[in-house]
Amino acid sequence: TGAAAPSPCVHPGLDPWRIVDDCGGAFTMGAIGGGIFQAIKGFRNSPVGVNHRLRGSLTAIKTRAPQLGGSFAVWGGLFSMIDCSMVRMRGKEDPWNSITSGALTGAILAARNGPVAMVGSAAMGGILLALIEGAGILLTRFASTQFANGPQFSDDPSQLPPAPSPSPFGDYRQYQ
Amino acid sequence: MPVTVGPYGQSQPSCFDRVKMGFMMGFAVGMAAGALFGTFSCLRIGMRGRELVGGVGKTMMQSGGTFGTFMAIGMGIRC
Repeated sequence: TGAAAPSPCVHPGLDPWRIVDDCGGAFTMGAIGGGIFQAIKGFRNSPVGVNHRLRGSLTAIKTRAPQLGGSFAVWGGLFSMIDCSMVRMRGKEDPWNSITSGALTGAILAARNGPVAMVGSAAMGGILLALIEGAGILLTRFASTQFANGPQFSDDPSQLPPAPSPSPFGDYRQYQ
Repeated sequence: MPVTVGPYGQSQPSCFDRVKMGFMMGFAVGMAAGALFGTFSCLRIGMRGRELVGGVGKTMMQSGGTFGTFMAIGMGIRC
C-alpha cells in the first residue's frame, strides 16, 4: 500500500484483524458487484416477459453473487495474509509488498491447474497490483501537488489508497 | 454536497467523492489492464489491423467499467 500509510501489521495486536477485515470487505464487494452484474445478465438472458426476466435475474443473483463474493474473499484474504507476513518479514511497507503478494496469491490459487497456469496467473496478479499501486502513487502525487498547503491532504491520500489496495485484489483475478 | 468540513476546518472528500474517485481510479486501472491483456487475447484469436484496434478498445472499455464498478463499491462499503 501507499508508503505513507502506517502499517497495521507492525503492531502485533492488530495483526490478524486486518486480514479478517479484508476478507470480509472483499466478500461484500464481490457479492454486491456480482449482484449488480448478475442482475443485468440474468435479465437479458431470460425469456421475454417482465415476470420471467425479473425471476431470471433473481435466480442469477442468488446462484452467482455469493459464489463471486466467495472467490473475492479467498483472494483478498490470502493476499492480505501474504502482504502482512511480508511487512513483518521485510520490516517495511512499499509497493513491492503488494505486487509480490498479488503474484504469489495468483500462483497459489492456480496451483491445482499446473505450473503453466500458475505462471500466467502470477503474472496477471502482479501486473494488476502494479497498476493499482501505480495509480495510487499517481493519485497521491496529484493530490499533494494540487493541495500543496492543505495540512489535511498529508493524511488524506494515505487513507484513500489503503482502502482500495487490500480489496481491489479481489476484483481482478476473477476475469481470467 | 461536494465537501464536508473536517475536524481541522478543512475540506475533506465526502463519501460520494470517494466513491467517484474510486470509480475513476478503477476505470483507469481497468483501461490499462484491458489494453495489456486485451492486446494479447485479441492477437491470439487472430485479429489484425483495424479489427485489432476495435477489439482492444472494446476490451479496454469493458474492463474499465467492471473495475471501476467494483472499486467504487469497495470505496462505498468503507466509508
